[in-house]
Parts: sequence; C-alpha cells; structure tokens
Amino acid sequence: MQQKFKRNFNELKNIVTMTESVFRELGLQPELRNVVDLATEELFVNMVTYNTETKEDILIEMLPHALGLEVRLTDYDVERFDPTNVGTVNIDAPLDERTPGGLGLYLVIKMVDSIHYEYRSRQSKISFIVDRK
Amino acid sequence: MFEIVLEDDGIVAVEGRLDAAQAVKAQTFLDQVEGQCVLDLGKLEYVSSAGLGVLLKTHKRLMGAGSGIKLINVSKHIHDIFRYSGFDKLFDIVPAGN
Repeated sequence: MQQKFKRNFNELKNIVTMTESVFRELGLQPELRNVVDLATEELFVNMVTYNTETKEDILIEMLPHALGLEVRLTDYDVERFDPTNVGTVNIDAPLDERTPGGLGLYLVIKMVDSIHYEYRSRQSKISFIVDRK
Repeated sequence: MFEIVLEDDGIVAVEGRLDAAQAVKAQTFLDQVEGQCVLDLGKLEYVSSAGLGVLLKTHKRLMGAGSGIKLINVSKHIHDIFRYSGFDKLFDIVPAGN
C-alpha cells in the first residue's frame, strides 16, 4: 500500500489510518504497531520540519517483508539528509542537561530492526523494517 | 484523538495519542499547572518524541520550583518508550496495575 501525504502534522492521523489498514490486511501482530507508528511519525515529522525547501507531498509505502513490515518514506526535491547518521543522545544525562529535542531519530534507530537511507536525483528515501520477532 | 483534563481529585488524566499534532495542546494545558503534578497515563495509547518533549519541559519547569511530575498507570509499551529515552531515570513512574 502507498499513499502521499501533505507536509502537515495534521496528516499524522491519516498515516495512522493507513497503518491500521495495512496491519489488518497483512494480519500483523498488534504489538508491532507502536514501533511502526513511532518510527513513521518521527521520520515524517523530521522531513516536514527540516526539508522546508520543497512543497512536494511525502510518499509513504508499507510493504510486507519476509521478516515483518517494511516502511519507506520518500521526500522529493530536497537536499541530502541522512537520519541514520545523526549523533547519539545521552539518555543518562541528568534532568538539567536534558533538552526536549533530538530524541526522535534516536528512538527510531534504537527501536527498528534495520534502517536504510538513499539519496538520488534530489529524492531522499528512508526505509526501515520492523521484525515479527 | 487526544484529551487532557484535570479530574476532581487533582490528577491530570491523559487519553489517546500524544503525537506531534497534539503536542501544542498538551503543552498549553500543562503550562497552566503549578505544584506537584500527577499524570494518569492509563488511557494514553501512544506517545512520540514530541509528547516526551512536552513532559520533559513541564517536569523541568516544575522541578525548578521544587515539585515535578509523577506518572501513574503507565502501560508496558509506554514504559518501553520512557526506558529507551532514559525518562525512567528522570521521572517518578508507577506502572499500570501497581
């Protein structure tokens, strides 16, 4: 299944609807939903927030995978930004040293089973796999 | 769907999905809170980093005034997010069923 979404946080509810539909069609375990929802939101929000040079919709594809589910997000006419290459977050830092930003991509990297980035012809594509376990 | 309300017993009940689209609503509500704040997350289905940011910002503000946030009725999958982000070391957390 694939669908394009406007560059707006209000699209998150529509992404959730798409994910629900995919899980129902593929009979995936509900326990995987939290990771799929979180990784998809964080990557979508990152594209909307930082790839401000484009007005193109963002394509999300959800595909059955031998290990579980593969999700791909493609952003068009943007500069290269590899979210798999972001710095780490010190989750052991005391409260006064913690800041609200930076956690999203860190959580994605920690929670998905594999993640891949490619950049070609000004298209930024990030894909991840969530394993059935 | 996301709701955040102050219950009669003084506990703040959070329900639904706290994502990037709802973070402003949550932050606006929590910015009004003073003193010790107990958040009942029993009906919270989902939280992303945007929601975590709201909790962290509010906790830091309240801790600076000598109080803070206590999280109660925290389900396993929400607790997993707190653990991955290190929030289990920053907040007083009571798991669901305790």
